[in-house]
Amino acid sequence: MLEARGLTRRFGGVVAVDEVSLEVAEGELAGVIGPNGAGKSTLFHLITGHLRPDAGRILFGGRDITSLGPDRRARLGIAIAFQAVRLFRGMSVLENVMVGAHAWSRSGFWEAFFRLPRHRAEERRILDRARRALERVGLGDSADRPAESLPLGQQRIVQVARALCGEPRLLLLDEPASGLRAAERERLAQLLASLRGEGLTMLLIEHDVAFVTRLAERITVLDHGRVIARGPAAEIRDDPAVVAAYLGQARERASA
Amino acid sequence: MSELPAEPPPLWQRLLSRQALGGWVLAATAVVSLLAPLGLDDAQLTIYVFIGLYTMVVAGLSLLMGFAGQVSLGQAAFFTIGAYTAAILTRDAGMPSLLALAISTTATAGIAALVGLPLLRLRGHYLAFATLAFQLIVLSAISQVPQLTGGDTGLTAIPTLSLGPIALHGQFRTFIFAYVVWVLAAGVLVMNRNLVRSRPGRGLRALATSEVGALAAGVPVTRYKVQVFALSAGYAGLAGGVYAFFVGYIAPETFPVLLSVQFLIMAAVGGLGSVWGSVLGTAGVYLLIQVLDTVGTAPGLPASAPAIFSYAVYGLVLVAIMLYLPQGVLPAIQARLVGRRAVSAVEAERSTRAS
Ligand SMILES: Nc1ncnc2c1ncn2[C@@H]1O[C@H](COP(=O)(O)OP(=O)(O)OP(=O)(O)O)[C@@H](O)[C@H]1O
Ligand SMILES: [Mg+2]
Repeated sequence: MLEARGLTRRFGGVVAVDEVSLEVAEGELAGVIGPNGAGKSTLFHLITGHLRPDAGRILFGGRDITSLGPDRRARLGIAIAFQAVRLFRGMSVLENVMVGAHAWSRSGFWEAFFRLPRHRAEERRILDRARRALERVGLGDSADRPAESLPLGQQRIVQVARALCGEPRLLLLDEPASGLRAAERERLAQLLASLRGEGLTMLLIEHDVAFVTRLAERITVLDHGRVIARGPAAEIRDDPAVVAAYLGQARERASA
Repeated sequence: MSELPAEPPPLWQRLLSRQALGGWVLAATAVVSLLAPLGLDDAQLTIYVFIGLYTMVVAGLSLLMGFAGQVSLGQAAFFTIGAYTAAILTRDAGMPSLLALAISTTATAGIAALVGLPLLRLRGHYLAFATLAFQLIVLSAISQVPQLTGGDTGLTAIPTLSLGPIALHGQFRTFIFAYVVWVLAAGVLVMNRNLVRSRPGRGLRALATSEVGALAAGVPVTRYKVQVFALSAGYAGLAGGVYAFFVGYIAPETFPVLLSVQFLIMAAVGGLGSVWGSVLGTAGVYLLIQVLDTVGTAPGLPASAPAIFSYAVYGLVLVAIMLYLPQGVLPAIQARLVGRRAVSAVEAERSTRAS
């Protein structure tokens, strides 16, 4: 469903993503791991179109989307929950989630001005999907709170609900579990498992290796912008290159 | 999910809730604006007409600044374009006034879209400066083509509004204009309200605080910005056209840059993005200006007194609003009454600092 070919992105002298190729099959939950600064988030932003690659191409459902902007890609079904939270201040949690429906709804200014019947029906559908997405991620009770009043971890989950409200075909999750308490993490893991059960294709970045290996069947490991290993979760854990690059650093951090 | 259904809030709270308050303001505005012309003399009616016209401009500006997060320092330019287009189309091309009004409104919106397309891709205050420059360019362009625009002397004897053979003349002219203008203003406000509560309205509010987030959600950010800019210009163009028909005389000096500043202050007083606040902000600031003009022209004061007064007061009003009521006057009153928004604003501040 998603195919990245030789993606490269530089920031000044830093090669954040270096000739990365990646394939995600329909219905798969693929994991991406790697130490800090490995280029994981940059890779996601290349896939969603928030960043343009210096080289390489991106195909989605067989179609070359390299030159499309992020909003066009969202309407094709690519959704993301950012690592750095991007919610809308001054809007309630529910309204934030409703914005996600832009991916499939179509009423414009004119329909809105005159509240035509088709528009009103669409508004009801948007509200309904948004509520369901919020219930699904377990934030139904926070619907009317201002989004910025939630703890940061839960704001990431609001982003997941916003993405789900857009009924995506591919969902990118950039460290969705960070900032969550154990029970919330568990709930998220169950949500991702059930979304996968419904056939949603997902790409998951996570620092918590146990969290990814439990959910993802295949994992890609990045280090310094390059793919250093890829394969089934169980094998990746024992790959010497991965142990050296990623787990080594994690141990360093844990002992620090 | 809690098991118990939530207790409905007490009646008085529901009657003062944000939505209900909007309804009250709407109802009160409707009643007052329907009845007011009956008790006003001609001079007062004229003020009433101007407040209605400026309300349209301010409603658009408030939408642009409050919801799309874009600042226009040259909104009077679109008022000017609307006025000149409507005047020339009726006076020199002999077009019926309603058709001319429709064309001038559309043309103004179209020009804004063309101007906005390159500008709105830029971030920050480019639009503010560019719109200011745009107004200066429009004014000087008008002076450059006197064959068409009358140059610095302006255009006189602009036909009045007419519907078929019936033209607005005579004893009840101002009176009827008052109703026409306020029906249009009400239409503009209702359109705004509907927009704000809908899919594109949510998209606009979203892009004002996070373009990246909005794009990720599928909001066509550039298109929405251009559309809301064109819309605000269309409102201003419509008001400008009616102004030309009402006053019958326009010249470049009718539309100084100060007028743009006035619109900006009216929008800020009413609360950026507050649909009903536009009416209060416009009326409040306009009446204040009238008072100042009266005071400034009192015998014994120098001729420059009115201008000095108004500049000083604009400055003071702006500073006072920024300091004490940054969300505008009407939203602040609502917050006092309902107490909810204030809390969320504080929380918002806290969490933006934390993240
Ligand atoms: N907008 C940017 N401008 C300049 N450099 C950037 C930018 N975004 C990322 N980088 C650099 O690119 C490299 C990869 O960053 P990226 O955020 O993709 O890493 P990551 O794997 O997501 O890290 P983390 O685990 O900390 O989230 C880093 O060296 C980072 O400093
Ligand atoms: Mg990252």
